[in-house]
Amino acid sequence: MMLRFVVYGFGTTHDALAAEKALADAGIPVAAVPTPKSLGALCGIAVRTALEDAERTESVLSASGIAWTGRVEIEDRVPGDLSR
Amino acid sequence: MPHDGIIYLDHAATSWPKPPEVFAAVKRALGPAGGNPHRSAHRLALEAARLVLEARSAVASFLGAGDARDLLFVPGCTFGLNMALKGLLGAGDRVVISSVEHNAVMRPLAVLEAHGVEVVRMPVDGAGRVDLDAAEAIIAAGKTKAVVCQHASNVTGAIQPVADLADIAHEHGAVLVVDGAQAAGHLRVDVRALGADVYVASGHKGLLGPQGVGVVYLAPGLELPELVQGGSGGESVSPAMPDARPDRYEAGTPPVPAIAGLAAGVGVLARELDAIMAHERRLVQRLVDGLLEVPGIAVLGPAPGEERAPVVSIIHESVEPDRIAYELDSRFGIAVRSGLHCAPAAHASAGTLETGAVRFSVGRGVTEDDVERAVEAVREVCQA
Repeated sequence: MMLRFVVYGFGTTHDALAAEKALADAGIPVAAVPTPKSLGALCGIAVRTALEDAERTESVLSASGIAWTGRVEIEDRVPGDLSR
Repeated sequence: MPHDGIIYLDHAATSWPKPPEVFAAVKRALGPAGGNPHRSAHRLALEAARLVLEARSAVASFLGAGDARDLLFVPGCTFGLNMALKGLLGAGDRVVISSVEHNAVMRPLAVLEAHGVEVVRMPVDGAGRVDLDAAEAIIAAGKTKAVVCQHASNVTGAIQPVADLADIAHEHGAVLVVDGAQAAGHLRVDVRALGADVYVASGHKGLLGPQGVGVVYLAPGLELPELVQGGSGGESVSPAMPDARPDRYEAGTPPVPAIAGLAAGVGVLARELDAIMAHERRLVQRLVDGLLEVPGIAVLGPAPGEERAPVVSIIHESVEPDRIAYELDSRFGIAVRSGLHCAPAAHASAGTLETGAVRFSVGRGVTEDDVERAVEAVREVCQA
């Protein structure tokens, strides 16, 4: 079954990992993943959350002062580790 | 407490022994977090990246930086000062410095001076502290771009009025660059409360980490050209470094084991700093009082009882500093440092440029018994 995610790209690894931590701290299942080509040449690490969590994800990121510089919706058969 | 038969009184050079937490953190960085932190996205690399993120947040918080992205990891304090000075200053610029700076400031400024930067020195008083009235007159006497001052002296232990200098610098449109090598981990440092625009610290001295990492706090909005270009893990098609912090200033693979150890050292300090500071004050007082009781010895810098960083340098009227240091090590297992301490300007100011001095510097883990034994050993060496 294909699963639907939003992948967020960032300007720096610091922001990507800070985003991962902020989302995990907020209880949103999140995974750090290699940045997909469709997001362009951003930092090498992106984070993804389930599509249904997109609104909450973006709210947490905004409240944390972390700006995402790319956003793409994808389907994937690999669920990934969204527990952290 | 002697470690392996050593009484270690050279903390101003590097802290030793490192806390067990530092060893554990380095081990983790070489093992389960052993990937390259800002490149790949597999689990080893992500653990390394998380470790660097946590370390940056911990050190930024400890030093009072509001946003961890303003806290940069660099190869050392010397590198950080080079980055700040060479980034800020160019031909035609005027920089005002204290007359007691370390060579980590003096030597890059000598290069800059040869390229047309005007370097003007502020005088210090008999204790080695910047004279603020004279400083203001000198800063105001020209279009000063930057004021550079150590937070504490590695020779005299004198603590500089950094917050006052920040006010004066800002009033005259200059930025303040602070060399915090001897302050961080020994004094309570809040970079924003101090008003520092750039604050540079060593990771392996008072902050208790391994050698190989230093930190630069760069105030928000102050953009410097980076000193080094290279891979940053992102925006790889661009020939230029990314603008965003911290990546702009951290080209290449960071020293993750050193960064991890530094964060562990800072973790110890965050719990113990008040107790460490009180302990170091007692040790310094005992050192100063005890050494002054030895006939023929003079202590450089602040008067007994005055506040100082945990550094005490002495000269003897007839026994050379290198002789004292050598005998302390070879006969008593006491580690101190003689010579000019990479700070000829400070020694010139103290009148010891020709002789140098013997420096005792204490830190976490040094006991009152260590200090007593050092004083007695100096007495014995100087009596002979």
